[in-house]
Amino acid sequence: MLLSRLRRITFFDFALVLGFTALAAFMSLPIIFILNHAFKPTNELFLFPPRFFVQNPTFSNFEQLFLHATNATVPFSRYVFNSVVVVTMTLVSVIVVSTMAAYVLAKYRFHFKQIILSMITLSLMFAPETVGIPRYLIISGIHLNNTYLGHVLPALASPIAVFMLVGFISQIPNELLEAAKIDGASHVGIFARIVLPLSVPAIATISIFTFQGVWGDVETSTLFMQDETMRTLAFYVNSLLSGLQNSVAAQNVAAAAGLLMFIPNLIIFLLFQRKVLETMIHSGIK
Amino acid sequence: MGSITFNHVFKQYKGESRPAVNDFHLSIEEGEFLVLVGPSGCGKSTTLRMLAGLEEISDGELYIDDKFVNYVSPKDRDIAMVFQNYALYPNLTVYENIALGLKLRKTAKYDIELRVNRVAKILEISHLLDRKPSQLSGGQKQRVALGRAIAREPQVFLMDEPLSNLDAKLRAQTRAEIIKLQSDLKRTMVYVTHDQVEAMTMGTRIVVMKDGVIQQVAPPRQLYDEPSNLFVAGFIGSPQMNFVNGTVTLEEGSYFFSNKRMKLLIPRRYDDQFKRMDRSVRNVVLGVRPEHVILKAEEADDEERGFVSSSVQMTEVTGADSYVYVNVGESKIIARTDPGITYRKDDKPAIGFNMAKIHFFDENTGASLAIGGDEG
Repeated sequence: MLLSRLRRITFFDFALVLGFTALAAFMSLPIIFILNHAFKPTNELFLFPPRFFVQNPTFSNFEQLFLHATNATVPFSRYVFNSVVVVTMTLVSVIVVSTMAAYVLAKYRFHFKQIILSMITLSLMFAPETVGIPRYLIISGIHLNNTYLGHVLPALASPIAVFMLVGFISQIPNELLEAAKIDGASHVGIFARIVLPLSVPAIATISIFTFQGVWGDVETSTLFMQDETMRTLAFYVNSLLSGLQNSVAAQNVAAAAGLLMFIPNLIIFLLFQRKVLETMIHSGIK
Repeated sequence: MGSITFNHVFKQYKGESRPAVNDFHLSIEEGEFLVLVGPSGCGKSTTLRMLAGLEEISDGELYIDDKFVNYVSPKDRDIAMVFQNYALYPNLTVYENIALGLKLRKTAKYDIELRVNRVAKILEISHLLDRKPSQLSGGQKQRVALGRAIAREPQVFLMDEPLSNLDAKLRAQTRAEIIKLQSDLKRTMVYVTHDQVEAMTMGTRIVVMKDGVIQQVAPPRQLYDEPSNLFVAGFIGSPQMNFVNGTVTLEEGSYFFSNKRMKLLIPRRYDDQFKRMDRSVRNVVLGVRPEHVILKAEEADDEERGFVSSSVQMTEVTGADSYVYVNVGESKIIARTDPGITYRKDDKPAIGFNMAKIHFFDENTGASLAIGGDEG
């Protein structure tokens, strides 16, 4: 049986697999580089021509990072803590707000719905830089400088998340919601029991990019946080990389920090990737 | 318990000139199996959805159990609905699907378990309770959807074309089960379908609708034997009733139906009806069902009254019967015949009608001219 299956592989199949394997290998180069780079001793980091793979792996970069961090005015762990708090709060609130908004926009009829939808689409077109100043005015206007809410609020209104979820939720058959209505579910009940569980694939998707956006974001730390203790890990790593401190000497520290910044992204992606691929939406309907 | 009254109910969608449901006025008795039937877009589903509370009523009043329910939300109407695409919650197991309605009504946990298991036993889905809807076949999903409705033990069951996604064999089987279920539960059931066979076999009373207007409300037999207008006559019955245009004339005290090809003596029972009409020639449509068309293999004998020659176009053999499509002049007529006699294309059998079973309709209004058959 195995043989018969093998025989069915055509040249086209072979070429396809080969092509995609090559593409996947190419796409994974940066990941492999980050992994290698973090373990390179200083002499390999500055080697010319640069080497891709590490020759003599060492943990000294991480030691340096923690040494550097413990010597700094704000401990490294504080940045990590801030990042975790901000990311968690943002993720939860973006998911809650976006799914609720998307559910209403997708399934209810009300005045000015089209205008609201167009405004959401329109706001997708603004580059983040253009809203920097208005955002600063709002945040300082309501005295959210140096608070966690100052990190969360700008990311909370996520047009791309709402936009994606509206598309997804409008595919949920109306009959499901009507069945729930007749079964006795309230608006909140329908949302929590039917819409939310069915939107999991879309929520996973928006979680990935919201996480990546917030985890790597330095804007809120730079603009709204004057207090160093309120800044995030991304800001700290960025400051190492962008030469705010000694750029040559800190290269090894930056390499290690780069890996640390990358790993949560990878974990989140692997965690949610399965959900994204799951298409469960049509399973209850013929 | 479970009676429903529609009091001149209208549904008008914004931006549409014609109401989707136009003056729906009907009382449904407790325990009745009422079928709403009509072509797509006739307003039957809209009527059902208004009854369920999923559509607002534009005008008129709706009563369930003599309670005014126009503004009562679906969950408080004590109804259950089965949807065409089953609408099972894909994220819940079969058990949870059936139990959700009870859970939301704060039924005690042991009671939920009892009821779900009982319903599962009735519908023979006990072995499926742990599965998700995606793991079920179409027929099984249909049973779960029925189970979800039954478990709540509502006063009124609403069904929106629940069988149209099933294959023919399963449909016939489920149809019989729903009939049995309704007679066991003795609950009011309102059933929407576009399939006239379903309507005829299931309903204790049938409402035929067209363009949002009720055409006729009658038990199946009466609907078949005494259609109130051309639309009902053509819609109910398969193959459909044959229609022949012609005029009614009075000769020597007897009424005759005639056109270019035929001249038929009209039975006496129509006399009163025609007497009431004006004296002049009147255009009518003669309707006759395929089983009341008589074919004679030999050529038409001009002497023999009521028989004319025809020309066979094609023959359809269904097994028990065969249907012969013939042309008589410009009229196309279908006749049900004994499958033992084969007609070939261009055969010229003589054709006549069983005059005791014919119908007459006003050509202009489409209304039936039969005595008492016209309910408006």
